[in-house]
Amino acid sequence: MATQRLSIRRVISAGAIAGSAAASVAIVAVLAGVLWYILWRGVGAISWEFFTTDPTGDPTGDPAAPGGMRHAVLGTLALLLMASAVGVPMGILTGVYLSEYAGERWLAGPTRFVCDVLAGVPSIVVGILGYELLVVPVGGFNAYAGAAALAFIMAPIIARTTEEMLRLVPDSYRAGSLALGASKSQTIVRVVLPAAAGPTLTGVMLALARVAGETAPLLFTAGGARLISADLGQPFPSLTQQVFDYATSPFPSQREVAWAGVLVLIALLLTINLAVRLLLWRTRARAKPR
Amino acid sequence: MPPSKARRSGGDRALGLLARGSAVTILGLLVALLATLVTAGAPAAARFGASFLTETEWRPNTLERPRLDARGEVVITGGEVEIEEVPPRFGALPAIWGTAVSSGIALLIAVPLSLGAALFVVRIAPRLRVAGPLSFMIEFLAAIPSIAYGFWGLAVLTPWLQTVAYPAMERLAGGTWVAGWVFRTRLADGTEIPVGLTGKDMLCGGLVLAIMVIPIVTAVARDVLRSVPRGQLEGTLALGATWWQSSWGMMRYARAGLFGAVMLGLARAAGETMAVTMVIGNNMQVAASPLAPAQTMASLLANEFKEASDQLHQSALLLVALILLVMSLALNVTARSLVVGGSSRTAAAH
Repeated sequence: MATQRLSIRRVISAGAIAGSAAASVAIVAVLAGVLWYILWRGVGAISWEFFTTDPTGDPTGDPAAPGGMRHAVLGTLALLLMASAVGVPMGILTGVYLSEYAGERWLAGPTRFVCDVLAGVPSIVVGILGYELLVVPVGGFNAYAGAAALAFIMAPIIARTTEEMLRLVPDSYRAGSLALGASKSQTIVRVVLPAAAGPTLTGVMLALARVAGETAPLLFTAGGARLISADLGQPFPSLTQQVFDYATSPFPSQREVAWAGVLVLIALLLTINLAVRLLLWRTRARAKPR
Repeated sequence: MPPSKARRSGGDRALGLLARGSAVTILGLLVALLATLVTAGAPAAARFGASFLTETEWRPNTLERPRLDARGEVVITGGEVEIEEVPPRFGALPAIWGTAVSSGIALLIAVPLSLGAALFVVRIAPRLRVAGPLSFMIEFLAAIPSIAYGFWGLAVLTPWLQTVAYPAMERLAGGTWVAGWVFRTRLADGTEIPVGLTGKDMLCGGLVLAIMVIPIVTAVARDVLRSVPRGQLEGTLALGATWWQSSWGMMRYARAGLFGAVMLGLARAAGETMAVTMVIGNNMQVAASPLAPAQTMASLLANEFKEASDQLHQSALLLVALILLVMSLALNVTARSLVVGGSSRTAAAH
């Protein structure tokens, strides 16, 4: 009796191991398949013209040669730059506040909570806020609204990673700096932040990677465009939105260009991801006190 | 040295103000978000009340139709058919239904697979020395933009479902009650329509969402399982538990965190916009069959917000956005309170 029960539970366990392994294999197979398909189509569609030409012809007619996405690549880079200009300082300063200024003050708890929660707000809702606050008053889609929406997504992520990284800086650093006569702001700017520079930058890059692939917050803010203008008050193109427009287009020639756009987008994200890994690896190699 | 002292305290004050100002700004943004949606959604809420959540008709335009009398016959006055105007109506139930069904399908597929894979990564992969690459792959896949998954769904999954899977299913089910339920569906107004014709439907949306939430659920579940104390695992093994029994013990021990991982997956699935918009068919209807085209709250916003010129239409859309926001906040708050410690960072990164 005992041996029989033993064998049954062994069989169940073996089945569970097989199931667990099968689940992993299935996930890897499906996801790798999807990724491979996307990359394969992208590699087949990419060309030098993709980076050097803007869309050509009538958007509603079937273009034999739809042109490239130079405008969208530049647009995405410009939007990321503008979003970082606002989102990065705001995120880092909030992180500094949470780690260096707030003990258990009334502001710190709610801010921490809101930062965590904002990471889960559907990005399309952020786009709607950008529309109501920065598009309706101006009267049209513009680059500022798009960048602000992205900054809104970046800042909370950066704030929380910065806070966590600053907390890892030993208190002896702060005490030493203060004992030498430095003020609190000097201590933060010259000692604490530099000591946590690597990991903080990691948080910034993670936030960048997150917003670089966002489409939904740009739909009602930047609005998308078929050309890029230096006037930031005009509707502004982005890679994700151009890919969306072309991916849902009835014309195969435009869908082809969209695959190239997806490839460029993924290449951008992979670059950021690898940079993060390199950064983390270098930081660890320097054997920081953790 | 008063000047230097003054400069120092000036710098201190400036940095303190900047830091506090940033924190207040972030807080203010959430308040602004809620305030904007509440005030803008108020007209629709006042007009439709609770029926906004239960009505199935979403019609932004004014309808003109022949007036019918009590017996259901067309009213004719002076030789002319009398026309009545039906004002626009907004009921969000189709979008809520579409969100629930597509997210439900996604979780049904993603959760067992993700938990299995998380157990594999924590307990088996280290022995095979594949934990690192596997983890990297899962994390990288979580970073792929949703538009890429949506495009794949549109280009590969939709035609496959339409031309291969559904015909095969129909042949298998052929004439049984299953076929009657899956391939024909009755709408709220009583009409029966054939479904499963385009491949763009709730099932397709659910499948694409499953692929998108698997990485995040696996990553968080992995972190949660890793945080189970070694003593717990070794204790069960010392008592003679098999691999599965000790794994079951681990999962029971970490059940709150695992539930949190599932909630994060649900929040991601329910708030996902672009990929779903591309494959769900964008049709505001409540249908029982998962093969019917539908609309989620997020896809409804993506499709109609830009074109909504009418005040009431916009207000109704913003009310939908508010429902979506409150729902995601509730899911995230619950999930975050369940997933504690080290895994909260993994969650924040997605």
